[in-house]
Amino acid sequence: MREFNVLVVDDEQEFLDITVKRLEKRGLKVQGAESGEKALQILLHSSTDVVLLDVKMPGIDGIETLRRIRSMKPLTEVVLLTGHASVDSGIEGMKLGAFDYLMKPIELEPLLEKLADAYEKKRLHQEKIEQAEIKRNMSKPA
Amino acid sequence: MKKIFNYLKYIFSSTPPEEPLDPEELKVSFKRRYGNFRSLLTANNNALQAMAELEKIYYSGDSYRMATIRSKVTTILVNVYKMVRNLREMADGRYQDLETIFEQIGHDLVAILEQKPARHEGPFILPLAEIGRGQRSQTGEKMANLGEVAAIPGLMVPAGFVVTASATGHFLTTTLLDEINRRLQILDPDDLDRLFQTCEEIKKIVRESPLPRDLEELLHVHYGRLEKLTHAGVKVAMRSSAIGEDSAGVSFAGLYRSVLHIDKESLATAYKEVIAGKYGTKAVAYRRKRGYRHEDIEMCVGCMTMIDALVSGVTYSSDPSGDENETIRINAVSGLATSVVDGTRPTDLYLVSRVKPHTLVYSEIRQDRDNSANPHAAPSTLTYGQLKKLAETAMTLEQHFAAPQDIEWSFDHQGRLFILQSRSIPFHHRQIAEQPKEITDGGDGGEEPILFGGICASKGIVCGEVMRIDSVTQLQSFPQGAVLLVEHPLPEWAPLLGRAAALIAGHGSEAGHLATVAREFAIPALLNLPEALTTLGNGQTITVNAAARAIYSGCREDLLRAREVKKDIMAGSPVQRLVTETLQHITPLNLSDPASHQFKSKWCETLHDITRFCHEKSVTEMFNFGEKHHFHEGAAKRLVGKVPLEWWVIDLADGFQEGADVSGSTVRVEEIVSVPMQAIWRGISAFPWEGPPRVSMRGFGAIIFQSAMRPDLDPAVASNLTTKNYFLISKNFCNLSVRLGYHYAMIEAYLSDLLTENYVTFRFKGGAADMRRKAVRAKLLAEILESFDFRIELRSDALLARIKKRPRGFLEERLQILGYLTLHARQLDMVMDDPHMVERYKQKFLTDIAEMLARRDPLIQGEAGNGEEQQSVAG
Repeated sequence: MREFNVLVVDDEQEFLDITVKRLEKRGLKVQGAESGEKALQILLHSSTDVVLLDVKMPGIDGIETLRRIRSMKPLTEVVLLTGHASVDSGIEGMKLGAFDYLMKPIELEPLLEKLADAYEKKRLHQEKIEQAEIKRNMSKPA
Repeated sequence: MKKIFNYLKYIFSSTPPEEPLDPEELKVSFKRRYGNFRSLLTANNNALQAMAELEKIYYSGDSYRMATIRSKVTTILVNVYKMVRNLREMADGRYQDLETIFEQIGHDLVAILEQKPARHEGPFILPLAEIGRGQRSQTGEKMANLGEVAAIPGLMVPAGFVVTASATGHFLTTTLLDEINRRLQILDPDDLDRLFQTCEEIKKIVRESPLPRDLEELLHVHYGRLEKLTHAGVKVAMRSSAIGEDSAGVSFAGLYRSVLHIDKESLATAYKEVIAGKYGTKAVAYRRKRGYRHEDIEMCVGCMTMIDALVSGVTYSSDPSGDENETIRINAVSGLATSVVDGTRPTDLYLVSRVKPHTLVYSEIRQDRDNSANPHAAPSTLTYGQLKKLAETAMTLEQHFAAPQDIEWSFDHQGRLFILQSRSIPFHHRQIAEQPKEITDGGDGGEEPILFGGICASKGIVCGEVMRIDSVTQLQSFPQGAVLLVEHPLPEWAPLLGRAAALIAGHGSEAGHLATVAREFAIPALLNLPEALTTLGNGQTITVNAAARAIYSGCREDLLRAREVKKDIMAGSPVQRLVTETLQHITPLNLSDPASHQFKSKWCETLHDITRFCHEKSVTEMFNFGEKHHFHEGAAKRLVGKVPLEWWVIDLADGFQEGADVSGSTVRVEEIVSVPMQAIWRGISAFPWEGPPRVSMRGFGAIIFQSAMRPDLDPAVASNLTTKNYFLISKNFCNLSVRLGYHYAMIEAYLSDLLTENYVTFRFKGGAADMRRKAVRAKLLAEILESFDFRIELRSDALLARIKKRPRGFLEERLQILGYLTLHARQLDMVMDDPHMVERYKQKFLTDIAEMLARRDPLIQGEAGNGEEQQSVAG
């Protein structure tokens, strides 16, 4: 798997630690944040590719965090993860452009696959933008 | 180069030409589209799987929880939305209306699943004398009934009041309830230790929450009134009176708390104790089992003065255990009635006639007369006068509530009869339950099943005649009540399920569309039983027991008799009603036939419709990739080596061998690692091409005519069109556009180890010669391909053949066949006048194909040579 940067956001410290450790073991560059506020701070100063984001958190919740990430770093892909599925947060999350909405408990392999898919999407998106840029520059009169 | 694509456009679509893409752009565009396609297929599987699970839960007759339902529905919604998003990205933003439809369905589902019962607004306390059934949404069923009883002339109830649902809402704040519901939601229903622990924690939360000041003051005011009605320092009983337990068939008996002998000081504590009783282990488990959400039940508290009871008991106005329901059953005990209800002490039993003068039919005095604990007070028994009074009261109450009653009562020391509770006996308790017979394979001396296995997609036992259907043209001939036998459970067969007694398929799973429809029609469905295709014949009478995954020869009356509708323990519950409503927005399938005029996004009504639509359209979008995209000539490399005709290859991603030098303008066949292209190529190069057949004079005339009508078809004008053929490839993907002579053919395939992604598509169109002969040729190809498991759509001379979700090796063989046919069927229409020739060519093609498939890959031959009886890896 290609190496990419993941930010795990979850207010449950134990879950956060284990997830960060496991993903790191599989060769990803992983950071952890225990709240939405903290996550937004980290995103400002890092080159995160994919965010794994808990939905139910004290402070600004996952959906609100997602909304802010979308406007702050629109290319960053977000995968939502929740212990308590609710129909409205599922719909809202997807409409805000989350890559997926997963439910705990989830095993490592399918999680890795999801994160990799999200990264692949981000990479292709970026590539397309870069190509368009090059094309535009090339067509400019010298 | 551009010419060829304009020509393809001319044939297949009307979209305006796009700007040509350079090789890198083409690659990225392909990867994005393919990424979307792949993601859409995965989402489709997930959505259908979750729908199947939801239905399975719903129809199982077992109990289920709201959390499970919510999580399944969320999974479905999320995946359906992903499908919409993927499709729109593939289709450059078209299908906007799918978003609108999805939004509406999502909105409806949220309204159904996330609705919160309205908060009650009203007085916190109501005196018993002021209430009746009209107030039951404030006081609970039990107290409302008691209010009614109080108003019946000649009947007495203890003085009392009800602390209403508004008061409960005032006490249990939203924050408190959220915390309680959170704890209940994370509870594993099968973990009994945790259940017990959680319930204790919740009860503790309730007990330790302070009672609002105003509520406590009101309690004291109303207690003061009771004191005035009776005497100072009167003791009271506090009893649960729940709202929301009124569904037929659900008893909720004995789940909650009553606290007796309360004085003024302990009013608040006792009140909280009864409220906390809603979260008793038994109550929580029972609600779960019977399909009640915790918020469906609201606890109110009745507060009544204690009766100085001499003898108490329970009356059933119609004896539930009696055969003829002719008697009133009375159980009585000295003192308070609690021991009758909880069964802790022996009670006296009396059966009294329901008709006047209510003669005693039977009695059994079981109370211990030599009570050593209290030797001076011999237990009280009922006098005939008291029995008569009880019988009259029971009949009065039964008449008042228009149903048999379960009545709790006490005689005080002055001989006055007080009614403490009267409630209707749930209907099913009045019926004698029938025991369903055990179903055993081959029981009652019957024979063993002729077939056993497969996947049960819908339960049931039926008998009928087998009728196999292989093509849509046979639909009309399908008789009412026959057992439908098909190879694949395709959506096309859905219209038959209204007429079929059962469905049997050689392939498929419970998550398929047709499986869903079978459950909707409640007909037994047994899938993935390939032996059925060879064992069962048309007209054969069989008995299908889907749940036992067994098929019996003949009509097995014993099995049919044994079928018994399982009692659905969730029947009529709020959760079941909710899921019934939910499913209406999810599972019905209105869009089954892609060829129909109604197969449009605006006709999607359910999430199932959206999945079906997105799936169909995504395939089309994917197939259109080669047709819709232009690329610079430089992107293509010419295939060199010992190859017939002229072929060009465009690599979209990892289609060339690693390390191969492809910097030039050519590529060798050996340097290509695209699995589907290699398979097609094996077919193309299997036999040398013998050139066009000899043309009869009539056929030749037709060609001249067509060429004159359409100058672009004149071979002299468009010579480059006749020679260039393009492969767009990746490791697993290949799209071949062939323009040989006058006809156009396209093969597209994706092959991987994941069955659901795999597909092969073949389009064939055009050609010289007149329409009639073109059609004959397309029909010949269709017949050959149909015999190799392709699904065929044939309209005049345009042929579309598809096959999907099959193992890679199987599809490689199909690609070989297509490669062969593409090369050899060209210009066949010249000879299509002659039926004998048509048959001759067909036989030759079939012979060639058989020979080609029998040849083994040198590599595989090596393996097979080791004494193994392998057919071929590809097979």
